[in-house]
Amino acid sequence: MKTREDAQAIAKRAAELFREQKEAIVQHTDRLFGRIMLWQWVAGIAAAVLLSPRAWSGTQSTIHLHVFAAVFLGGLFTAFPVLLARTRPGQAVTRHAVAVGQMLMSALLIHLTGGRIETHFHVFGSLAILAFYRDWRVLISASAVVYVDHLVRGFFWPQSVYGVLAAPVWRSLEHAGWVIFEVTFLVISIRKSLGETYTVAERQARLEAMKEGIEATVAERTEELQRENAERRQAEEELKRSEAQLAEAQHMARLGSWEWDVMKNQVTWSEETRRLYGLHPEDLGAPMEQNMDHVHPDDRARVREALAESLRTGQMFVCDHRALLPDGTVCIMHGLANVIRDDQGRAVKMIGTTQDVTETKRAEEALRRSEEQLRQAQKMEAVGRLAGGVAHDFNNLLTVINGFSGLSLLSLRAKDPLRKNLEEVQNATERAAALTSQLLAFSRKQVLKPRVLNLNNVVSGMEKMLRRLIGEDIELSTSFGTELGRVKADPGQMEQVIMNMAVNARDAMPRGGKLTIRTGNVLMDESSFFRGREMEKGSYVLLAISDNGVGMTDEIKAHLFEPFFTTKGVGRGTGLGLATCYGIVSQSGGDIRVYSEPNRGTSFKIYLPRVDAATAAAATGPQDEALPTGTESVLVVEDEAAVRRLATTVLRDRGYQVQEARDGAEALGIIGEGGRFDLVVTDVIMPKMSGKELNDRIKRLAPQTKVLFMSGYTDDALALHGVLEPEFAFLEKPFSPGRFARKVRETIDTAILAKAC
Amino acid sequence: MRNVHWLVCIAAVWLVLGAVGFWALLKYENTPGGRGVTPSQWPAEAQIARRTGGPALILFAHPKCPCTRASLNELNRLLARCGGKLTATVLFFQPGARGENWARGALWNSAAAIPGVTVRADSDGTEARRFGAATSGFTVLYDAEGRLQFEGGITPGRGHEGDSAGAQAIASIVGRNGTKVRQAPVFGCGLMGLCRSPGR
Repeated sequence: MKTREDAQAIAKRAAELFREQKEAIVQHTDRLFGRIMLWQWVAGIAAAVLLSPRAWSGTQSTIHLHVFAAVFLGGLFTAFPVLLARTRPGQAVTRHAVAVGQMLMSALLIHLTGGRIETHFHVFGSLAILAFYRDWRVLISASAVVYVDHLVRGFFWPQSVYGVLAAPVWRSLEHAGWVIFEVTFLVISIRKSLGETYTVAERQARLEAMKEGIEATVAERTEELQRENAERRQAEEELKRSEAQLAEAQHMARLGSWEWDVMKNQVTWSEETRRLYGLHPEDLGAPMEQNMDHVHPDDRARVREALAESLRTGQMFVCDHRALLPDGTVCIMHGLANVIRDDQGRAVKMIGTTQDVTETKRAEEALRRSEEQLRQAQKMEAVGRLAGGVAHDFNNLLTVINGFSGLSLLSLRAKDPLRKNLEEVQNATERAAALTSQLLAFSRKQVLKPRVLNLNNVVSGMEKMLRRLIGEDIELSTSFGTELGRVKADPGQMEQVIMNMAVNARDAMPRGGKLTIRTGNVLMDESSFFRGREMEKGSYVLLAISDNGVGMTDEIKAHLFEPFFTTKGVGRGTGLGLATCYGIVSQSGGDIRVYSEPNRGTSFKIYLPRVDAATAAAATGPQDEALPTGTESVLVVEDEAAVRRLATTVLRDRGYQVQEARDGAEALGIIGEGGRFDLVVTDVIMPKMSGKELNDRIKRLAPQTKVLFMSGYTDDALALHGVLEPEFAFLEKPFSPGRFARKVRETIDTAILAKAC
Repeated sequence: MRNVHWLVCIAAVWLVLGAVGFWALLKYENTPGGRGVTPSQWPAEAQIARRTGGPALILFAHPKCPCTRASLNELNRLLARCGGKLTATVLFFQPGARGENWARGALWNSAAAIPGVTVRADSDGTEARRFGAATSGFTVLYDAEGRLQFEGGITPGRGHEGDSAGAQAIASIVGRNGTKVRQAPVFGCGLMGLCRSPGR
């Protein structure tokens, strides 16, 4: 079907080209005759002028008719066809006018030349030129003119045509016959020429069709190429966008990719990998060994082994390692890679990723530390709660025992044999109070009385006592840092810490040794962790207590500061010493670091934050044995009846007017009923209403009334109730009658002094 | 369509004008010239000698008539056709008032170049009047006994070469082939001022 349509199209196009060619030929021939006819008109005039310029009669002459005929008749025969040839080339009327005009010009020229037989060739020549039109009809028109000419002349002037005075009509065909003879062959020639022209047109049509086909194919292919180019450009843009996204994703994840051509031993990597390792672009394609230079030296062997293992077994390469960056920074990298094998099973390539997990690792470490810290804190909290709870009740009991035994001593004579017993009771009470204090200390819940102090003074003040404590087999060496910074700590507790450390050192050197106590200023330029606690960077004062004793294993070091952990034999240690030390130091904002090696010795380094303040005297002066008295009115609020009774007894014995209340509500009731008191002594932790809340209510009812808090409970609990603020007076349980009496007097006196000012 | 009509009209006018012009030209060319009375016997007073051994042909010509060239060319062919049986004398009109060179022009030379032709000047047309010639190209043929055999032109038209009744008749007479044609129209300029003397 397609071929048939193509053939029809080609035939149609061939006909069109044939027609165009014919029109071109006709127009060309028209223009040709336009020139020929003008030329032959001029030639006719010239012939007339030359051959028959004048007609004679005797000696008279006139212009010959031929001259007029050449000019006017020839002009007439020429003008119309030439005009048409110029204005209407290609039209049928033009070429027929040309044919008629040309034949008439032939006849005219024949006459102008005297009927010369040679001039008759003009007719045949004109027919041949007319055949240029490739139109047999033109030849017919021309032939008709010839025939009509002969027919007319043969009829009217037979001699001029046939050379006889009379001739039959058929003789006109004799002359026309020669014309027809030529015309016949010209027509044959025209047909042949037209056939060839059509063949050429058909070839051209086929060429055009082929060209159109080729052009269509080219256009189609060009369109396909353009579409493919557009698609490729779009794909390239999408690829670029995807690569940019991948690069951005890699950058955000700090995840780079790499590829190791095992056969060529060339390693290529992504931009992020280059950035992560600080690689140089010129290193792209370098051998694996060269890339190993960027792995931390301590991890290279392990990474090589992991790579070799993956190549050998085909298992995924998974290896965390440290990277050593050009600036010396160490990062932790998480490496993953798959092994690509060829048809023979040979490992030819590894494609993998590397992710900077430094932050993650740090976060994990921080989390682990936090968890450890939390666990430790929870443990200490549990112990602290237990210790605090025990201490609260225990302190109340000790307060009662200590108080009443003290009162009893005051009432006994100096020589009374019972005095010694009561003094033993009081000694036991003090040891119990110390034990309670240690319980609170290691749980970091004891009430500290921090001061700004110089550790050099503290240590030097203890030297004598320490030498006695450690014995003669152990040499005590002290080294005091010059211009030592001040620290804010409870001096008594710090003495407790030093003493505990010294005792431990002594026990670690059973066969003697050297105990060194050193102080100094330390600047920590980065934070550090120990036992789950972070010590922030900054200025610290170091107190180092070192011995060259038996040292400790890592196992022992791991549990060193845990309460009730001891390596000493039964009865030799409570397991609270170092725990107490750690609690005191921690509560003071410091930290303890331990450095120890078995059989080499141990060094405890205590770091306390340095403060810029004037040194305060750490020592406390001896207490005045004479108990102060007073006449002021005091309200004692205490839920524990024995303590309440002790307090009221002590105060009444010292002259005070005392009322008592079991809790805050009862106290408020007494005040509300008009009771006026110079001082309210109240326990902090009480059922229904805390001492702090009671204080707030009293301040509204009787603003002038001073309040003294007392508690045997923990630091945190008291802080929670807000009574440890400087503006409040506070007395820690257990207390002796003397301490209690002095604290009451001091509080009342402070209030009086404040009013006076 | 209007243009076509105009074109047809113009073509028609063109053809008509051409036909009229051609008709006039043909009319001119085919209109015979005038002639006088030609004696049936060779005039005794004729100045030119009559050939005694055969037919004698005399062609009267105007030396400047362009139409006469066709007559001379036909004479040339005729003599060649007769193959020496015929001689001819061409008498060119020579006005007495003009010099002798007036008649000696291209036609004179052409005639003189034809073998068997004797060229002579006919002063003031004396011989022409004697033989009744009034149109250039007028030809007479007398036999050996001086009897008139033919009179008229030997061209088919004025200044037009080609077969003509006159030339064929002369050739037949000379060749003794027998012919009834003894006269033929003559076409040419007036020989002695009678350019278009009426025919008989």
